[in-house]
Amino acid sequence: MKPVYIAGAGMTRFGRSEWPLIELASVASLAALHHANLGEIPVDGVVVANMGAARVNKQTALGSALVDQLALYPATAEAVENGPASGASAFKVGVQAIASGMADVVLVTGVERMRVVNGLEGTDFVASLSHPEAEYVYGVTLPSLAGMFARLVMNRFGVERKHLAMVAIKNHENATRNPYAHIQQTVTMEGILTAPEAVVNNPPIAEPLHLYDCCPVSDGAASVVLVSEEVAAKLAGPKVRVAGIGQATDTHAVHEREDPTDLKAVRLASEKAFAAAGLKPKDVDVAELHDAFTILEIAESEAAGFFPRGEGHLALERGETKLDGKLPINPSGGLKAKGHPVGATGVAQLVELTWQLRGEAEERQVKDAVVGYACNFGGFGNNVVATVLRREAE
Amino acid sequence: MSHEVTGAKCTACGALNYPKRPVCRECRNETFDLVPIGGEGKVLTYTDVYALAIDYETRYLRLAIVELDGGARVTGQLLDDDPKLGKRVRTTIGVVREPGEGKVFGLQFVPA
Repeated sequence: MKPVYIAGAGMTRFGRSEWPLIELASVASLAALHHANLGEIPVDGVVVANMGAARVNKQTALGSALVDQLALYPATAEAVENGPASGASAFKVGVQAIASGMADVVLVTGVERMRVVNGLEGTDFVASLSHPEAEYVYGVTLPSLAGMFARLVMNRFGVERKHLAMVAIKNHENATRNPYAHIQQTVTMEGILTAPEAVVNNPPIAEPLHLYDCCPVSDGAASVVLVSEEVAAKLAGPKVRVAGIGQATDTHAVHEREDPTDLKAVRLASEKAFAAAGLKPKDVDVAELHDAFTILEIAESEAAGFFPRGEGHLALERGETKLDGKLPINPSGGLKAKGHPVGATGVAQLVELTWQLRGEAEERQVKDAVVGYACNFGGFGNNVVATVLRREAE
Repeated sequence: MSHEVTGAKCTACGALNYPKRPVCRECRNETFDLVPIGGEGKVLTYTDVYALAIDYETRYLRLAIVELDGGARVTGQLLDDDPKLGKRVRTTIGVVREPGEGKVFGLQFVPA
């Protein structure tokens, strides 16, 4: 495989957007293209990540639509739908195109505009990724799968609601330093857990998970420009290499998994990504995890190999995952506070890591970050893409 | 009309595939006997979910994963005012969703 580099990254602010879907995608794409500063070098292909446009926005064939907006014809174009892992999957498709020698420059853009529909419809569209006959018909939604997972993990490993709150507090704090974050507001332990009014501020969503354990519903887009070694050599700026990608799947219905508390696909995808990169979890300086629910940040931090099984909440309690800790997790604010436009999320994680590794993350810069790791968690853990990025010496 | 929920029992290795699939999860064999899913078991985990999808008018749903005696696991609706991890329950068949005009029947769990 040929080496692949990220030459540029950009995104829109996440939140509620009045822009049409494809305009969101265009804004993020142009930000990434300007960041890459390709000059006369042509874009060979465009890959768009999205989950719900066919249903929610009544639009299909997003790859062709984006090529047209950006006047990139006759570039190749396609869209990738892989549930909440669409973003990192599209990124993988772009990387494969360059690694195989079929392309030199690929634009990967993730986009979702899901606030145009009401909450019930939005929750239902995401719930449609669950097993149709064994889960969905019973009223299963993503929060309910997360709630059942959380209860098991909390019961087995001694994770308490205060630990879940610590994830929320940390990620909200980080998001106040991120101008692209959906929610730029701090929360406190009193406000969401210990004060009497916390029961009102923080109502249950899927017991034992409450409102502040869940990501918001967001619109937004994120984009990266991937280039070959030959093109990277012509460009200015730090060189961020795609060091390794790993992907793994698991059973569709959660109840079929041998141990439903084990995020096996996260474990396998991460092992593959680290093996491809020739690196170990201890080499990682900064990580973006898929905290659609607070419990997932804790569980993924273990399954990715950063902490022993059942000890992620203890590392969190010790402050190791804060911005100034040993392994900062979700400096962007994570899905929890940065927001979760489903198809954009996997790309946005890699945008954040690119900025971090280039030293461009401003108020939330992790000092001397060289190796970054991202976990894009699709389904309820039945399709996971892990990515390791590394800044190369100039 | 029967509203029985069925799984696929592999004719080669005996594994119960629920939900059904055309290839056995354990041994990749492709022939099965259809068997009814149900009986007694214990609550593996549960949740009260307030973030509901379309088709529900209730304020929340109580959902559970139950481990049936014999080892198979199933997801369904828990009809129990005093839910606990590990509690003994048995399956019944009831209306679990009403999309538009129709009714969908499926697994519900009541105290054993």
